[in-house]
Amino acid sequence: MFANYEVDGLFDEMFVQPGQPRAHYAPVASRLATLDVEAFNRRRRMADVTFRNQGITFTVYKDQAGVEKIFPFDLIPRIIPANEWDHIERGLVQRITALNLFCQDIYHEQRILRDRVIPADLIYGAKSFRREMFHVNVPRNIYIHICGSDLIRARDGQYMVLEDNGRTPSGVSYVLENRTVMKRVFPALFGAYRVRAIEDYPLNLLQVLRSVAPPHAAGDPSIAILTPGVFNSAYFEHSFLARQMGVALVEGPDLVVENSFVYMRTTAGLRRVDVIYRRVDDDFLDPLCFRPDSVLGVAGLMNAYRTGNLAVINAVGTGVADDKAIYPFVPDMIRFYLAQEPILPNVPTYICARDDDRKYVLENLDKLVVKSTNESGGYGMLMGHQATQAERDEFAEKIKADHRNFIAQPVVELSQHPSLCDDHFEGRRIDLRPYILYGEKITVMPGGLTRVALRKGSLVVNSSQGGGSKDTWVLEDEQELAAT
Amino acid sequence: MIPADTTGISAVTSFDGKGIFGPRAARPMLSRDADSMYWMSRYIERAEHVARLLLVNGNLLIDVGDLAPALQEQQWLSIIQILRLNESDEALSGDAPMGIRVARHMTFNAANPSSLISCVSRARENARSIRENISAEMWETLNSLYWSIRGDDARSRFEDSPEDFYRSIMAGSMLFQGLTDQTLAHDQRWLFTQVAKHLERIDVTCRVIETKFIILKGAETILETALRNIHWMAVLRSCCSIEAFRRHHLGEMDPLRVAAFLILERNFPRSIRFSVERAVDAVAAIHASVDPNAVDPAERVLGRLNAQLEYAEMTEILNEGLPAYLQRIQASVAEAALAVQKAYFLN
Repeated sequence: MFANYEVDGLFDEMFVQPGQPRAHYAPVASRLATLDVEAFNRRRRMADVTFRNQGITFTVYKDQAGVEKIFPFDLIPRIIPANEWDHIERGLVQRITALNLFCQDIYHEQRILRDRVIPADLIYGAKSFRREMFHVNVPRNIYIHICGSDLIRARDGQYMVLEDNGRTPSGVSYVLENRTVMKRVFPALFGAYRVRAIEDYPLNLLQVLRSVAPPHAAGDPSIAILTPGVFNSAYFEHSFLARQMGVALVEGPDLVVENSFVYMRTTAGLRRVDVIYRRVDDDFLDPLCFRPDSVLGVAGLMNAYRTGNLAVINAVGTGVADDKAIYPFVPDMIRFYLAQEPILPNVPTYICARDDDRKYVLENLDKLVVKSTNESGGYGMLMGHQATQAERDEFAEKIKADHRNFIAQPVVELSQHPSLCDDHFEGRRIDLRPYILYGEKITVMPGGLTRVALRKGSLVVNSSQGGGSKDTWVLEDEQELAAT
Repeated sequence: MIPADTTGISAVTSFDGKGIFGPRAARPMLSRDADSMYWMSRYIERAEHVARLLLVNGNLLIDVGDLAPALQEQQWLSIIQILRLNESDEALSGDAPMGIRVARHMTFNAANPSSLISCVSRARENARSIRENISAEMWETLNSLYWSIRGDDARSRFEDSPEDFYRSIMAGSMLFQGLTDQTLAHDQRWLFTQVAKHLERIDVTCRVIETKFIILKGAETILETALRNIHWMAVLRSCCSIEAFRRHHLGEMDPLRVAAFLILERNFPRSIRFSVERAVDAVAAIHASVDPNAVDPAERVLGRLNAQLEYAEMTEILNEGLPAYLQRIQASVAEAALAVQKAYFLN
């Protein structure tokens, strides 16, 4: 099935060149060589049925009716050796530390603006900057407790950060479920490896939630996950995490605020809530503070939060740290706050708000990827080299009309990994979203969500744009891998 | 943070700081979750009844052949009546035999709120919104059941063998209810499923007896004894009670005995009295765990009904008239359901 496999000058995770697997992939490669297409497809069907019956789905909307879909699962695991992971982990710890110091600084002294490391207008112009948070003290001075930073690999295999998700990163439930399903349908593949366990993630998350509980909760805080509801595309994950941690899953209408305390409506009347892990954007949290038309949150929540009677995770206002126009400054933040050089580099980025950069972007639209700074999930993007002239012209107008809203990056070739396509393997582009938790200490989940662009040649891995995912294995310390 | 000791148990972090073995107060339950728990349970119970009614009726009419076409139609329509559906619904019209029309309407018509597909979908939608309150086993069973009726091959499986199809739904419901008992702590969550299950069972059983009794009464003169017995056996089968009845009464198919068995038998889990007793217990337990001091209207209504059934005699019931008696029970059930809703779901 690997007969016509091509590497195409990209960085291939599995093969140095066709027929020559990297050492840490050798056992998987030799195992796959013994399977025929039918054996492989049987396992794929098994995985699909498992996902469907367990309801591991997300909802796609078209023609009013929501259609439940399985997040496509790619059976070949992505494997990361221990030394590579060590490097990634150190880079991520450094990054989340700096991002948190940045949030704390921006909502208090603003040293980084006064020292002119970051232009102040970029901050004040960010839609996600929350003046309501100015001089509000949050528990432990931590803002981003849960971060998902997207990593990609350049042609030389170097890991780079493509973006940080410091608001409500999703996908971790798929990481955990992918592993469970993988063990069920392909137990033999694990044989030659010692793969680091990830099952303790919900426990670590619960400890983070407990670590921010207000003092009045006296060691037994009442914790809830706030979801927009069953129609949200990530509802499965909200419910999954509530189940794994044994905490309540609430919707806005379940909550009520009295005397600056938040309560939930229970069969026994109102019960106080101390910590909320919200999966609702800032904009929708409290109609008194933000969007008045929102019914997803609860009126008065911000008041309870600012009074310190309620802890909210992630803190309100973290969007300012994952704004795409702020992203280019993260390496400077690391130098400014930590006096260290960044371990994981950024992808070079042009900021359209800067005159020189904008001029370059407009002249080179056919070589660049342009992104709107306030969108995520693969929306509001222009892939310059694949777009038509008309699409590029349209984007040029948009950029001229609203400088602040755009950045551009050179096309970065993602690394590729074999995926089964019909009856043979072909390379497909992948990225990696690790999950970092910051409570009493920083914990990086070993691995993360490897997303796959299932269409040939595509660089877009988002699930809303036809991406799939695969199980991601981080290996225990260096081990002898004998090709069997 | 945790003092060292020699047992090694302290290595397990205790979250409440009061020690691992200390008592914990019962966790409160969201009103919305209680509501969904209740309806999940009612809908799955309803699906089971619908499947059984369709199955039993199909088999009955194979047995009695085409002796009485008018009676056949009436038997099929009785399913519509039992579920209080509109007999002149357009979905029921057509040239196909009545049995096929009713079966289609009651199985795959999503516009019909009592069809199997509607009941199972609603049970599953409710479950989906409270997955953190139920066990993974319960969810997977219900979700698989949903896909078995919703999936691409559902109709062809149905055409192959309606009996197998209906049996798989009944088995799915039974499995789900068994898992509910065996994988859920018997706290508020479970209690709400029990109230719902038993109220639904009382309600449907009342309607089955009432509707069939009226039909068979009307047909008394045209039915020979042998045929009448077959019809009464079908009533018992519709209530999943034929074997228990036979063991109890050694096969005497007297209509009054059938009614008495289904209404008053204390130890049989499909009888009305049994369900009323369980429903009272569940409501009382919920009430005790939530607010022992207040008076619970649902408990009062069901308690009164329970006492009444405990001392009831068949002759009394017949004096009042069986249909009227059964309607009174249904009114109590409706009142109790409303009271539960008011007390716990609308906080």
